[in-house]
Amino acid sequence: MSDQLEFLVTNLPNLLWGFPGRRPGGLLMSLLLAVVSVGVGFVVAVIVGVGHHSRYAMIRLAARSYVWVIRGIPLIVLLFLSLQLFGAGIVTAAFVALILYSSSYQADIIQTGIAAIPQQLIDDSRLLGANRWQVLTTVSLPYSLRVMRPALEGQAITVFKDTSVVVVLGVADLTTNARIALGGDVKNSSYWVATYLLVGTIYFLVAFGFSQASARRAARLPG
Amino acid sequence: MLPDWVTADVVGQLTRGTILTVAITMVTGAAAFAVGLAAATSRHEGRGVFRVLGTAFVEVFRNVPALIQIIFFAFAVPNVFSASARRNLFFDNIVVDAVGTVTRVPIPYYLVAASLALVLNTGAHLAEIIRSGMMTVPSEQVEAARSLGASRFAAWRTITALGGVRSAFPAISTRLIHHLKNTALVSFVSVPDLFQVIQGSINKTFRATEFLVLAAVMYLVLSAVMTIGLRAIENHLGRGLEIRRELGV
Repeated sequence: MSDQLEFLVTNLPNLLWGFPGRRPGGLLMSLLLAVVSVGVGFVVAVIVGVGHHSRYAMIRLAARSYVWVIRGIPLIVLLFLSLQLFGAGIVTAAFVALILYSSSYQADIIQTGIAAIPQQLIDDSRLLGANRWQVLTTVSLPYSLRVMRPALEGQAITVFKDTSVVVVLGVADLTTNARIALGGDVKNSSYWVATYLLVGTIYFLVAFGFSQASARRAARLPG
Repeated sequence: MLPDWVTADVVGQLTRGTILTVAITMVTGAAAFAVGLAAATSRHEGRGVFRVLGTAFVEVFRNVPALIQIIFFAFAVPNVFSASARRNLFFDNIVVDAVGTVTRVPIPYYLVAASLALVLNTGAHLAEIIRSGMMTVPSEQVEAARSLGASRFAAWRTITALGGVRSAFPAISTRLIHHLKNTALVSFVSVPDLFQVIQGSINKTFRATEFLVLAAVMYLVLSAVMTIGLRAIENHLGRGLEIRRELGV
């Protein structure tokens, strides 16, 4: 039992911020992957989500296809495709795949939010002299983003959990570092359960913590 | 004219992989729905320990990544036991052999373990969705049924469960389609599903781009077919709703 604990304690820093002498990794890498892909993905998602409601049929079709195609492909396939097609390193490939993945889900949420704006609100703004761009930036987007904020936060948490799939490319995230810590050595096999329980607990604490914070914030807000 | 990398061997392998992916999706999807319904009910109707257990189950299996659960059950759990016990318990017994005979998977335990992980993960997600559907069912309807003499179980089955599932069905469909894509994760624990076969073909032919695009297309087709099927179920569940709405009942 004590050797189990010792193994976990020795490896905890490796799981949280990476192995000494190597580039930072572990949970830090998982969080970086999640934050960047949610952040950059958000910008893409706003463009695609607005494109859903464009005046031009071609733009609507392009926006709809983007969401449908990327949401229809498993993340694990998207990661390998990204590595194969863009020919960059594994870390870049992971970022590209996760940005595509997260943006398509966020775009769908934003699109729903824009669709839910009362037509009256838009008509009123137009009547007061706002042009379409002004309506979009001062009415439609702020309104829909506020309504859709809980859904977007939930999606961000999902992306954080899904970063674990980058282990297939060998990006040194939390999951990969657990695999490296255990290695192929048979003498480590008794540590597998404890290690993966610890890894699961770390993911749980981050994901559950964020979702509780998000729920509490949503409950405080009126309407 | 087919390109030269489409050999009879490749087509056969892909067919078997696709069948396994569809089978895993259907079996674990149905089981996850049952688990989700049970957990949602225990949180919605239950008191005390049932409610706590339901909540704990949902939060644990929803907040730990599916891949970690798959690795845990497939690779980690057998390591608790000594080599001989491990073989008897996980890799060489009647149940595992039966699964192996039916599916012709080389290491059936990995399939069983990965499926269990998928059932628990998707089940926890579905539980939350179904529970939010159950909360939209007006309690007056349940009370009315009870006062008309329906048993608690009958009221639950015909009103809470059916109404909850019906109103949450669009979200349930979305989650089940996500579940289809999640099954690709079982390839990580050497289950020969569609994506594992694709990876095997890449290793044999070095046609990575072709096979990865093919994988993407096949998953898109499978999701499209599944969307159509789920919509049919949704329409079936919603039968007669318009009439009842018009009558105001």
